[in-house]
Amino acid sequence: MALARFSPFELLLLKSRHQTDTAGLLLMAWVLASKGHITDPDRQRFADLAHEFRHGHDLEPLIEIAVAQDLAAIQLAAEVLHKDSGGERAYPFLRQATALAVNDGKLTTANYHILCFLADLLGVAPAEFAALFEATTGKAFEAPEDPSRTAYWQAKERQQGHREQSQERSEQAQQDEHQQYGSREERHEEREQQQKRKHEYSWQRNDYRHHQRHEQHSRAHQSPPPNDRTRRALAVLGLEPGASRNEIRKAYRRLAQLHHPDRVFAKGEAMTASASQRFQRIKKAYDYLMEAS
Amino acid sequence: MRDLYQRLGVDSRASDDTIRQAIDACKHNALKTDARTVLEVKSRREEYDRLHATLTDIGRLRARLGLTHGPYWQDNVANDFSLPPDTSVPHHDALLSRVAQAVTLHNRWHRYRAPWLVGGLFALGIILGIALCHWLL
Repeated sequence: MALARFSPFELLLLKSRHQTDTAGLLLMAWVLASKGHITDPDRQRFADLAHEFRHGHDLEPLIEIAVAQDLAAIQLAAEVLHKDSGGERAYPFLRQATALAVNDGKLTTANYHILCFLADLLGVAPAEFAALFEATTGKAFEAPEDPSRTAYWQAKERQQGHREQSQERSEQAQQDEHQQYGSREERHEEREQQQKRKHEYSWQRNDYRHHQRHEQHSRAHQSPPPNDRTRRALAVLGLEPGASRNEIRKAYRRLAQLHHPDRVFAKGEAMTASASQRFQRIKKAYDYLMEAS
Repeated sequence: MRDLYQRLGVDSRASDDTIRQAIDACKHNALKTDARTVLEVKSRREEYDRLHATLTDIGRLRARLGLTHGPYWQDNVANDFSLPPDTSVPHHDALLSRVAQAVTLHNRWHRYRAPWLVGGLFALGIILGIALCHWLL
């Protein structure tokens, strides 16, 4: 009767004081490992979060297993956690995993999919998880750019180029400053010139504004042109740019009644959650417009 | 994310030449452009491969855990990595059966330890005696 060897994770699981917690910790280590490289603040955060677990063993072996992407171990952990799905630990666990995933501010594509998997594993609906993610991080839970498309790489490399350029520019600016402040007199002259230039510029701008105002008067527009956010907020309320305060208030009351979560309370949690999202959007738009106008 | 390897019909560990040939033979123009951009530059392909490995793992896990039809996986993005449900033995059940087996062996050893030890020592003594006789005579 041959008995196969127990793998390191199986031994950890058998020695653990609480199997579900050990499994949860391995999955969190997987989230950590999927960031690419594990930084010290990440490790520290992981250790802090692990205080709430009742595992009773070291974390280092778990991180090693996760870094090696041991699929058998991850599957075992997922199975253990799956047996406990829908339990009271599901939400706290997802919150901790989310906090770990966005510890340094950015959610990687791999971690987006892992979080989806964990939420699905624990039986949490997408709308609920999106709300939880937003509450934890303050950002919306949305799919990241798709790296199998050309656009992703173009955008990414453009950003990198910009960053390098701006670095170069700031270095140049520093050098320029050093050269500029060679002698005091030069500096004085320069400042006078600058002031003169500013003066002329402000004159020109005033003229320009004057022109604009005239044009606006002729078009019978009294408010300055609305910015992009105002336009979007108005679109949420279904209004055209240039709507009055009264119109905004009326539209808000009508939409708030229509989309209030209490209206669909009897239709189940998913409907309530989606209504709540819509209501929040409407409320945010209204609050912004009331502040802006 | 789309699985470019699957769509090109090549293995994810294929060499650069094989991939270039597959891209040249591809008849879908948009896919061809994307595959050129992503797979023909080494640094991009490395990053894509890392993500590809993670998503493949997630796909396998979902197939084995029976999570193939959740609402999370219904958009076209993740569908390339969805596999049909797997009916292999769950690892947790396998672990439990192995632990049970180990426990049985352990108990059996403890129960039959005394007769086995006596028998073993007796046999050892006889063998040693025979060897000694052989050596002396």
